[in-house]
Amino acid sequence: MKYEAVIGLEIHVQLNAATKLFCDCPNRPGDAPNRNVCPVCLWLPGALPRLSQESLEKAVLACLALNCTIQNESAFDQKVYYYPDLPKGYQLSQHHKPLARNGWVDIVGADGGLKRLRIHHIHLEEDVAKLVHETEGRTPISLVDFNRAGTPLIEIVSEPDMRTPHDAMEYVKALRAQLRYTGSAECSLEQGTLRVDANISLRPAGTEALNTKVEVKNMNSIHNVGDAIAYEIVRQTECLEKGEPIVLHTRLWDPERRVTAPMRAKFEGPCVPDPSVAPIVLTDAWLDAIRGRLPEMPARKSARFMETYGLTPDEAAAMSAERDLSEFFESVVARDLPPRKTAGWIASQLIPALRERNQAVGQTHLTAERFASLLGALEKEIVNTQSAREILVRLLDSPAALEEIIQNGGFRQLSETGDLETLIDRVLAAHPADVADYRSGNPKVLGFLMGQAMKASQGKANPKVLKALLAQRLG
Amino acid sequence: MPEVFTYRNAPPSRIAPEGALAGLRVTVQPNLAVRGWLCEAGSRALSGYTALQDATVVARLVQAGAVLNGSSRMAELGFGLAGDTSVRTIVDGHADVALITDTMGEVRLAAAGAGLFGLKPTYSLVSRHGLAGLVPSMESIGLAAADPGRIAETLAVMAGADPDDPSMPDDCTAGFSAALPSGTGSLTAGIIEESLSSLDPDERLAFDASVARLGVAGLAIQTLNLADYGFFQDVHHVIAAVEASSSAGKFDGVRYGHRSTAGKNWNEMYLNTRAESFGPLIKPFLFQGAYFQFERYPAFENACRLRGRLLGAVDDLLGQVDLIVLPTRRPASDAMRAATIEATYAAFALTLPASVTGHPVLQVPNPGLAADQDTGLQLIGRRLDDGRLLAIGQHLSSAARGGTLI
Repeated sequence: MKYEAVIGLEIHVQLNAATKLFCDCPNRPGDAPNRNVCPVCLWLPGALPRLSQESLEKAVLACLALNCTIQNESAFDQKVYYYPDLPKGYQLSQHHKPLARNGWVDIVGADGGLKRLRIHHIHLEEDVAKLVHETEGRTPISLVDFNRAGTPLIEIVSEPDMRTPHDAMEYVKALRAQLRYTGSAECSLEQGTLRVDANISLRPAGTEALNTKVEVKNMNSIHNVGDAIAYEIVRQTECLEKGEPIVLHTRLWDPERRVTAPMRAKFEGPCVPDPSVAPIVLTDAWLDAIRGRLPEMPARKSARFMETYGLTPDEAAAMSAERDLSEFFESVVARDLPPRKTAGWIASQLIPALRERNQAVGQTHLTAERFASLLGALEKEIVNTQSAREILVRLLDSPAALEEIIQNGGFRQLSETGDLETLIDRVLAAHPADVADYRSGNPKVLGFLMGQAMKASQGKANPKVLKALLAQRLG
Repeated sequence: MPEVFTYRNAPPSRIAPEGALAGLRVTVQPNLAVRGWLCEAGSRALSGYTALQDATVVARLVQAGAVLNGSSRMAELGFGLAGDTSVRTIVDGHADVALITDTMGEVRLAAAGAGLFGLKPTYSLVSRHGLAGLVPSMESIGLAAADPGRIAETLAVMAGADPDDPSMPDDCTAGFSAALPSGTGSLTAGIIEESLSSLDPDERLAFDASVARLGVAGLAIQTLNLADYGFFQDVHHVIAAVEASSSAGKFDGVRYGHRSTAGKNWNEMYLNTRAESFGPLIKPFLFQGAYFQFERYPAFENACRLRGRLLGAVDDLLGQVDLIVLPTRRPASDAMRAATIEATYAAFALTLPASVTGHPVLQVPNPGLAADQDTGLQLIGRRLDDGRLLAIGQHLSSAARGGTLI
């Protein structure tokens, strides 16, 4: 029988608010253990939660960016389970009345067509503490770090609209791009600020049933999300073909062995309305004010880039994918540089260089002004393309001025006819046989001789002028 | 007779002689945080736990010049009154006011047993910050005293907006004025007929004698019906047990309080700590709450819906009359000695309604009756009508002392 996968994702995203969700402790889980704690997040007797306004605002921005309907009233519930990482025996989460419902993101499906994936709801909740178990040695030791306890999360629960690993990976990418745009969250799978739990079930292709699902966790990259789901589809298909039943449980993705392994029976604790956190009641005026802070989102910006700057759809998509680079692009173009050439340089030179450094542009020495001056020097043929690539690296890594880099690096392009002719003389004298070959009617040799001349100039010759002179001399 | 205090404060180190409560001696229960004092709430779960900061009400009382003279004994985690010595500190002359957390009627029943006044303020009028509580949607820090005027002065200092308790609704932020409204003559009090069915003839006589004092004070008395009256106990029991189970979830030995030394690893430590932390009365109550959470959630939802209906019904009655009158207790059932959940609920049967609905309620003693005869009188007022209840109490109190009627 042919099976079809039904995939839904539950994604936890850490909000980058300055404080925890219910107290004023810094939202910095990575600090020295138990540094960022207080009576509220340690849940000392008598402490009462105080909902952070900043977290609420950032969560609402995130929900708006994912096209959700914000609920006028939402409320916190106690998700009850007993574990040492949970300071009060329950997690404050929104089960019965979530912050937002009915959102969506668009992806490009494997067939190249646009596919809209629905979001069931988004709710606010607090994160738990971090446990470290040291089981080596005679006495096992368990340590708890409460820095993370109470830090703000949103959980984004999709509808089971995905059918393939491709869908799931594109969904995560689209969602991440939208969320990063709002400035509410960093969304790094590698650093755990975005965590994906995938629910996967199979059914005979063409049927509508929702069968018993298996939850898979612990994927720390988008590729792992795709690989874990692909593995799980194969595993469940084999189970069904062998006649084994699928049992509701949780599995962990093992990135080393590239398999999923069972973790525990899936536990769903009860959710009881919390009497201590007042319901969140949002007025239309408040919501409008937050909506006004939503930036221009990638799809709209991409359309504008095509219209205003004449970019192709691919170029526009590349220039609008990340908010910081899109703003960088516009800032460079505003300095009177040709938009398509600027986009080309950002896409082919700057983005790969940043990826290699694992940095955002704001973390380097490159500013829009410095980048614009480099492209300007290229336009005015002060430097050639090859030099410009090397100069870009220096602009990223040092605060030195462009002029200084060109001067000290000897990057200035050779365009003087006299200098270039001397150079050509030397090359032609060194390769008499090739010259003869060319003159006897083999035009391919021109490329070789150009290369030799460029090499003799140490890459600094103005290629246009050089080529014209060379062709003239070989006549 | 065990010692009345669990903690006896040294002569005050913090004095504000100019304050509104200068010199007023106040006893607290050890579930209310006083910085540097043990805050064990009568439970092994909190053994050795010392408060790191003052509860909001404690800070306000000290600021106003009150003298905190110590903390009493209390029932484990404030469930009922078993072993509670709060009112003894007043009877024995150590204190003027005792703060008693009221979850099912504790301040009212304790006061009734000692011939005192006891106020459970409107829910949320007083900050809960610093209260190691059990049932957050019902508990109020109550006040017991011989003189309702003292209660009014003390409540005026305790009440009002607190940034550390954001659960307080907007209408509570203005606080409470110690200047009580005057005039009781034109008021109407209603007696809920269904509440009287449990009284035996002697108890009925005692209750009627107390109601008659209201008549003498000029209040018109009428009878009311509340068909759903019988639901108060089940609604209270289910919701309180569920909230108690959640509230006690934090007692795990990881951060403070009792930690079991038995067990080979963190998991066994955790389980053993919770097994050892709770006594024989509270433990089954917590189990009952967990049972409703995990196994009978729809029943809990029904209880919450019924609670809304009961609140609406009582509000309707308080549209017909200015206050509702109920007996506080059946004198024979001794809440101080209740050792089971059933006995505890039986002792508190008459005080549960105002805990479920959150209305303010004042227990009024009848000095004309012997302590083992007085059923006490509960005056239940409209939301934020605490001042009017205290004014009536003060009127009855001064009348009993031979003062002039207003």
